[in-house]
Amino acid sequence: MEFDVILGNAGRAGLGPQAAIFALLVIGLNLHFGYTGLLNFGQVAFMLVAAYGTAITVATWGGSLWLGIPFGLGLCVVLALVLGLPTLRLRKEYFAITTLAAAEILRLLVRSSPATEITGGPFGLQAIAGSFYALNPIAEGRYGIGTFSYTANQLWVMIVAWVLVALAAALVFLLIRSPWGRVIRAIREDEDAAASLGKNVVGYKLQALAIGGVIGGLAGVVNALQQSGVGSESFGSQVTFMAYVVLIMGGVATTAGPIVAAVLFWFLREGVDSFLRQLSEEAWLPDLLADFLYDAGGAVSIALAGIALILLLKSRPEGIFGKRREGAADA
Amino acid sequence: MPERAPERSASGGAALPGGAKRDPILVADGLRRAFSGIRAVDVDHLEIARGAVTAIIGPNGAGKTTLFNLLSGFDRPDAGTWSLDGKRLNGLPAHRISRLGMVRTFQLTRVLARLTVLENVAVAAPGQSGERLDRALLRRRWRDQERQVRARARTLLQRFGIDHMADQPADALSGGQRKLLEMARALMTQPRLIMFDEPTAGVNPALTQSLLGHVRKLQAEGLTIVFIEHDMDVVMGISDWVVVMAQGRILAEGPPADIVAHAGVIEAYLGRAHGLEKGGATESEASRD
Repeated sequence: MEFDVILGNAGRAGLGPQAAIFALLVIGLNLHFGYTGLLNFGQVAFMLVAAYGTAITVATWGGSLWLGIPFGLGLCVVLALVLGLPTLRLRKEYFAITTLAAAEILRLLVRSSPATEITGGPFGLQAIAGSFYALNPIAEGRYGIGTFSYTANQLWVMIVAWVLVALAAALVFLLIRSPWGRVIRAIREDEDAAASLGKNVVGYKLQALAIGGVIGGLAGVVNALQQSGVGSESFGSQVTFMAYVVLIMGGVATTAGPIVAAVLFWFLREGVDSFLRQLSEEAWLPDLLADFLYDAGGAVSIALAGIALILLLKSRPEGIFGKRREGAADA
Repeated sequence: MPERAPERSASGGAALPGGAKRDPILVADGLRRAFSGIRAVDVDHLEIARGAVTAIIGPNGAGKTTLFNLLSGFDRPDAGTWSLDGKRLNGLPAHRISRLGMVRTFQLTRVLARLTVLENVAVAAPGQSGERLDRALLRRRWRDQERQVRARARTLLQRFGIDHMADQPADALSGGQRKLLEMARALMTQPRLIMFDEPTAGVNPALTQSLLGHVRKLQAEGLTIVFIEHDMDVVMGISDWVVVMAQGRILAEGPPADIVAHAGVIEAYLGRAHGLEKGGATESEASRD
């Protein structure tokens, strides 16, 4: 058992682009669910739309990446309007179901064979991020110690991704402390009361949905840059559910919660994964158990992460950063 | 109370439904609303006198709250028109009606539980430009206005005697304090007309008196007040005008003393409750809480 390798792997994942992508996704979801009370079960759809919007512009239409990114993010605003306008007047369950369904429909749509010419269908789109990596100021090579190390390109994505995380968190923080934020928190508490006080509930919900959606879209853009391509398998509904896990773990309606929890989530997940992989190679382990861990290690590590989450929520139901007053997750 | 009962003489005889007022602030015509075939509200004509305290009474299911919901834009009528100070309100969403100066409270208090008491009141301020997305990000664009809003909110909390709770979350308030907070919040919108849906339901007698004192003060400041009430002592003690509803229709209206004497009312409401040795009253008590 090499604990330095496990720790290195865990640390690399915790600070890596995947954690930053999750942090962005969750910051957007926090604006929806934590502050506005919108039960968005399709946050991954915003990620998908932005990633594919970017990739299609570059790979299919031969456009510039720097046009593709704003196009992808613009599609997130369109998606927010399409999802929100018909459903945000209704009870919140309708919105929840619509978002869940829309995310699945979009995923099936982009991977369908008839869409192959545009989206690449089941094969996805590749080689889209060349002009992003061309800007990389970091010299070639590997940086770090042992398994806790990144290539120059990985480092470049990470820096950009974490800067975006900081900007998104600052944006949400500034919005929430403003009178605008007070209105959306009022809407979360009681829509009818907010309307009786002269607040345009649907309008505010749409604004919050669009802003949180664009932040989720940034997660999709970073994902596309990091993989230099898109594939529908990155956008399953489990991504949204994991985003909820991270959100609740860090503390609903907090600023630091989504970021710290995203880091912790990927640190633990990769750490446990790495530990199980090594365990399966130990000579003293019965063959049956070793094979099981080798084959199903991923599933076991998710199960262990689930147990860890239950233990955390038992001792701190409001999450790591949540104040008991505002953090208790209810919908 | 300078404005008490100005329409007592103006309306001529009492107990005529749909009578004209000398200076109506709210006028409704042909307001109808049915729920799966059952007429919940069927009001031919209703005028609310400016500056008066008007009570709406009637048995459970008479359509009082539905009428409130229609007038305040929380429900849509099947037919009818209504206007505030001559401004047509038909088809306007609830928040626009509120901005025009007609604010309502709810039968069950609706405090914003996880906002502080001060925030509950401050959020009701009209025209806070920091509530606009394009201005929210830069604090200096709303800081001065916010200072005024908070000062006004604190003054209102003092007036209602809950300023010591200003920085507590609203769900720390007792039931009675929540009623006071709702009143303060409604007032923060700077309304012309306030509609209270059962302001004294589930409130102890001492606080009831305090709430009524506040209502009188609001009237003295020139506000028009419409309220739904079951407690006849409250109705008699505070209202200038009483509208009696039964089965969605306005059965009678007039000054409180005349209403008590009116036979139709006694049959539809008072008589039923009193005649059954308070059996009916207990029933309405239970279903209301």
